[in-house]
Formats: sequence, C-alpha cells, structure tokens
Amino acid sequence: MEYDEERDLRVSQLSFIGNILAGFTHEIKNYIAIIKESAGLMGDMIKLGKKSKNEPQEYLEIIHSIEEQIEKTNDLFRYLNRFSHRMDNELSTFNVNETMEELIALLTRAANQRKISIEKDFQKDILPMNNNPSMLQFLVFHFLEEKITKLDKNSRLIIKTESANGSTVIRIIPKGNLLDADKEKGYLPYEIQDKVVRQLGGNISQEKEETVIKIPITDI
Amino acid sequence: MKQKDIKVLLIDDEVALANTLAQRLKMRDFKVGTAYDGEQALSKLKEEEPDVIVLDLKMPGMHGMEVLQEIKKAHPDIQVIILTGHGTDKDEEDAKRLGGFDFLKKPADIETLEHKIKAAFKEKMERTLSTIAFAEKGEFNTIQQKNNEE
Repeated sequence: MEYDEERDLRVSQLSFIGNILAGFTHEIKNYIAIIKESAGLMGDMIKLGKKSKNEPQEYLEIIHSIEEQIEKTNDLFRYLNRFSHRMDNELSTFNVNETMEELIALLTRAANQRKISIEKDFQKDILPMNNNPSMLQFLVFHFLEEKITKLDKNSRLIIKTESANGSTVIRIIPKGNLLDADKEKGYLPYEIQDKVVRQLGGNISQEKEETVIKIPITDI
Repeated sequence: MKQKDIKVLLIDDEVALANTLAQRLKMRDFKVGTAYDGEQALSKLKEEEPDVIVLDLKMPGMHGMEVLQEIKKAHPDIQVIILTGHGTDKDEEDAKRLGGFDFLKKPADIETLEHKIKAAFKEKMERTLSTIAFAEKGEFNTIQQKNNEE
C-alpha cells in the first residue's frame, strides 16, 4: 500500500481535535458538577439544615463558589471558541501568543494529571504572523503532549515565544527528568511533522532538551 | 445500623467538589472524610477504615483504577463506588472486574449517590456476616472432627 501522507495528516488532525475536545468536555463536566453540588447544598441548607448565625455568610460563600466555576467555564468556552475559529481560513494574521495560550488552556488538565506545570514565557510585543494558525497549533500540540507524557512528576514545561531575525520562534523547554529520554521523538510521525513544517515554511530543531520551532514572519 | 454509622471516604482531586459533596452527605447523617489524591487516600486508610469509598478516576499522580486496586488488595471489605466525569464502558468493566461496587457518572444525583452508598454498606455488612458465619462453621466442624477421632 502506498504511503498516503495527506490521508495520514488528516487522520492525525482529526485525532488532535478529538483530544482537545475530550480534554475540554472533561474539564467542563467538573465545573458543572461543582455548580450542581453547590446549588444542591444551598437547597439542602434550606430544606434540611439547622439554622445558624453564620447562615447568610455560608450562602454567600456558596454563591461565590458557583460564580467562580461559571467564570472558569466561560474562560474555557472562550478559548475553545477561539481555537475552533482558527480553522476558518487556511491563512490569517494572528498573534502566536494567543494561539499558544489556547493550547495551554486546553492542555492544562492533562498536565495537572501528571503533576506537571505549564509556564508561559511570551515576548509581550511579539510581531503578528501571517500563516496557518491551526496547523501551527497542531504541530506544537504534539510536542507539548510528548513532553507531558515523558516528563517526571512535579516537572515544569515552559513555552517561550519571541520574534528573532525575521522569524517567530517557539521554544518548548522541559524542566525535569525525561523518562525514556533515549526515545526523543514526537508522537507525530516524522513524515507528518516534516510535511506540516514545510507547509508552514519553517523548520524544527533540537537544542539539547529544547524543541525549537522557527516560522518566518511573512510581510503583511 | 443507622445512616450515621456509615463511614464514607470521598476521593477526588477537585477540592471544591469533594468538600461540597462531603457537606451534603454529612447533612444526610453520613460520617464523611475527604482525600484529594490517591496517595493521601491510601495513607488515610491506614489510620481509619471507612465502610464505603467514593472514588474519582482521573486524578493527578495515581489513577483511580490503581487506587481501587490498592484498596481492594489491602482492604477487601471496603466497598468502592466510582464517581467520574470521564468514564467509558471499558472503565466501568475494568472497575467492576477490580472489585468496584458501582459506577456513576458526574454530575450524580445526590439521592442516587445516597442510595448507592447505603446499598454498598449493606453489601459490606452481608459479606462480613457471611465471613463470620463461615469461619464459625469451619471452627465447629474442626471441633466435631476432633471429637469423632477421639
């Protein structure tokens, strides 16, 4: 059977979107569960609870908890909405820090499961790019996922962005022990990685433990 | 046995959820403790054994299935109810194979959870009584055998 790069790329992209959505739904379910239990607790206090002097304060604390969860839910929906619309057009002008923020928001739970913290080190005045933001997120996601899987507990993963010499540079910097350190490959097959980076017009390199993605900033 | 005699341990990394659920169960007269990850839960079990555990699956560090396995190894009498936002049919199968009593998806209805906890406790008591009866019967048979030989 002939190796069909295009088909494999599409399958990988669908899997990427599926992963993002699964992480999102799990996170949202937890927020909704907290809201439901908090509302239920208020109901219990009215129906079952004994009267106490602190009651108004207790109600306020529960209301505050509900508001907090709603805010977290809204934030996550906002990131998912932005992420979804990245796929509207193949080429667009975008801020790479925002695209990385969306990935971080949608990957944080997976990282927390492994007790790994993801940190941002973004250049504040980074130049906008004109490229395929969805494809860039797809590429970076796989490197992040690989590092999250291979890093030991209580490690850190830093995502650094900067504009340098006409390119946007994204560095993925693991801080901690890498398990299976001799198998330093992304979960994305090399052929697909290579195809995606060529489509973005950039290149990937390894500088010790750091994965460095360089994408040229096209004149807008 | 009254509801207030039933000891429940809630294990969930979502602190707000675990604490709120604990409060609701306490208002229904259960004795409730909380743990926010697997290691903490197993450590608590060494100090005091609950009757029923309500266990989340996706937690940082030890996965819920691993925690379930450890619980059943060291404390086979404790009944474990899985309460997860993530569960698939396979998770449910695996949990039951590992000795899980029941499998609920978040957000669970409090009345349903209350009912499941009481059912799990009843199962625990029936197994305990059955073990005692078996042990007593076995002891009686050994004495009879000895008497017959004499």
